[in-house]
Amino acid sequence: MIFERIALVNFRQYFDRQRLEFAKDRQRKVTVIHGVNGAGKTSLLRAINWCLYGSEYIDKVGELISKEAISRVEVSESVTMSVELSFLHDGDRYIVKRSLRGIKMIDANVQSDLPDEFTMVHMHEDGQSEQIKNPIGTINTILPSNIRSYFLFDGEQIDEFAKPESSKQVKHAIYHVFRLETLDNARKSLEAVATDYRRELKDISSGELGRIADEEQKARTELERSENEQQEAQEEKESVRRKMKDIEEQLGKMKSTNELQDRHDRIIKDTKQRRKELEDVTSLIRDISTCTYFSIIPDTVKNALLFLETKREKGGIPANIKQQFVRDLINQKQCICGRPLTENCTEYIQLLSLINATPLDSLEDDVLTLSATLRMFEERANNQSTHLGRQMKRRIELLNLILDLDTEADDVRYRLKASPLEEVSGLEKQRQLLQADMDNYTMTLGALNERIEKLNKYLVQLGKELLQAQKNDRKQKLLTTKLNLAQQGADAIKGDYQGHSNIIRQEVETKTKEIFRRLSWKDGYFQSIKIDKDFSLEIIDQYGKQARPDLSTGERQILSLSFITAMACIREEEAPLIIDTPFGYLSTEHRSNVTKYLPDLCDQLVLLVTDEELHSQARANLEPHIGNEYRLEFDKKTNYTTIIEC
Amino acid sequence: MADKAIERDTIEIEVKAHNIYKSLTEGKNIHNVPFRTIKDVFMWAVCLGVQRGKRRSLTSKKTTIFRWPQLDSQIDIPLLKAIAIVESRDINILLNRTDILNIVEEYANGGIYELRDSLLTESGQPLWNLVDILSPQSEK
Repeated sequence: MIFERIALVNFRQYFDRQRLEFAKDRQRKVTVIHGVNGAGKTSLLRAINWCLYGSEYIDKVGELISKEAISRVEVSESVTMSVELSFLHDGDRYIVKRSLRGIKMIDANVQSDLPDEFTMVHMHEDGQSEQIKNPIGTINTILPSNIRSYFLFDGEQIDEFAKPESSKQVKHAIYHVFRLETLDNARKSLEAVATDYRRELKDISSGELGRIADEEQKARTELERSENEQQEAQEEKESVRRKMKDIEEQLGKMKSTNELQDRHDRIIKDTKQRRKELEDVTSLIRDISTCTYFSIIPDTVKNALLFLETKREKGGIPANIKQQFVRDLINQKQCICGRPLTENCTEYIQLLSLINATPLDSLEDDVLTLSATLRMFEERANNQSTHLGRQMKRRIELLNLILDLDTEADDVRYRLKASPLEEVSGLEKQRQLLQADMDNYTMTLGALNERIEKLNKYLVQLGKELLQAQKNDRKQKLLTTKLNLAQQGADAIKGDYQGHSNIIRQEVETKTKEIFRRLSWKDGYFQSIKIDKDFSLEIIDQYGKQARPDLSTGERQILSLSFITAMACIREEEAPLIIDTPFGYLSTEHRSNVTKYLPDLCDQLVLLVTDEELHSQARANLEPHIGNEYRLEFDKKTNYTTIIEC
Repeated sequence: MADKAIERDTIEIEVKAHNIYKSLTEGKNIHNVPFRTIKDVFMWAVCLGVQRGKRRSLTSKKTTIFRWPQLDSQIDIPLLKAIAIVESRDINILLNRTDILNIVEEYANGGIYELRDSLLTESGQPLWNLVDILSPQSEK
């Protein structure tokens, strides 16, 4: 940033429009502005600050408006103050303007209810201009407000860097001027992101995927084993059934046993039929019982019906008579018996009240339908109960029948087993053994079927859990990658940040030392300047001792000025150095050195000086670098300052 | 009057009760798993909740188990309306399906645990325990 010109309108001492051009040539980069105390030097510095950064650094904005301008308007009339600054930055030209309008009050003060207006325009080479939409952000990018005090400052108050408690200010200056806080903020942001990822990772249960996969594998192995056992048991059962069939055929072919065997076969057939019938009855019982829930709350149904009936009675509409019917009677003005219904007759009024007291049609329909349906519930419940009772009775009959058939079959088998013919009894014994095996296999198969069913259900559930765990696992992997990236980024920045800040600190230290040697007349006495790791600015004398406590105010200013100009030199971006009363505390030799060397150490120099500050050698030193020179003339009669070019 | 267009048609239960519904419907053995549909389990839970005075708010996470059109218009819907009328003593509740559902879902939320205890925790097979509730004097 290099200033080109400034125009002030009604700003403090500067009544009406006052303007000056800043020197910006490489050879002649110094602008000297002379002014006695109170002429407006500090006001000019404030005008630049206010224009660029607003009221942030100004206490009472209302007091910035020129008193002369206020005196020239009537009460209730408005008065406007503004500062316009044009500057170059990175080869582009910008104009910024801040203005404030106030209303003159009865007590002659100015009240401003509106905030100031800030505009920034980018001037193109072809003469076209473009308004910048985010002027505050743009200014802070060019010369951040937190480093303004290192470039625009009061020369008499710049000794703070050389004070014993200065380490914080020195560190602050270096970090902000070189934008190290940007790196630090980036590191902090990445650390915060990494912490969030770490917390999120902790919430996702680790090892869940492995556990479920193990469980699934175990369940699948178990299922396979059970299915194999099931198949074997079925094959065995089939084999037993075939053997039994062979025996039964053999028994059926024998003359002595064929009658018994036929009877046995009939009993078995009958038993099968009865069992099938029992299954059907049980299924029917299931259907009845799972759908007859309404029969367990008969009181609720009755109460609801009673409530609906009562409501309807209170509404006065007899059952089965619809609202439309009543409306028709009213419209026809005739009763169904043919009697006329005059508007004042009792019946007509009663019909009207019926309409008004009746619920909405849809609700009335609902009530009627619901009442009718609920009235059938009792009968429905009785029917279901009867039906269920009948089926339960049939079930008991079937169970008894099956029991009788089993007993009969046992009897036949006993008689066969007890046969005097060894072959017959042997076959029957064999059949009974096979029957026992058959029962055993049936039981085993039942248990296996149940286990397989359970395992299949469990596998479905595990499948769902596995999907969720896989999802979590993918999320976990992604989070781990993100965490690593964030942490590595933070670590890299931390390392880079520390290394970078050390390099800058050392560069500033070296440059400060170099500048201080030029500016101080006691060059030989002071041996070195150090900015240690704690950012404490220290000066070492020829005895190797810390000399800072012994420095005079002027020497502290020289040290601080050396530090500030060192930063300005190392900082790669152009910026003006504007110093208000730079030489107030400096002795002749220091003044001479500062005027001799300072122009070469900065990109643009604006000195706001009193007449006493700049004369003889100092003036002669500065002369070749002065591009523009002005005098601030304060008129005691009019009480305002005029900027006059020298 | 409630706006019919925004009436709820989902029937909801607490997620933690879903397993009971599943254990009574998923399986082939009708003696142990008597119910064919989740809707029937819900209706049984509602009625048992009403019969035993067990109404419980749904406070934890909810899930939808079926929708209003699956209810029988001649039995289920009139029965749920009757319960809502008796509970609210307000005839206008017939026009507000959401209010009806809120009441019956709370009864189902209390009744489902009664159903579980009666069918699964009691000795005997669930089907015959269910028959016992309907006709305690009937023999298995």
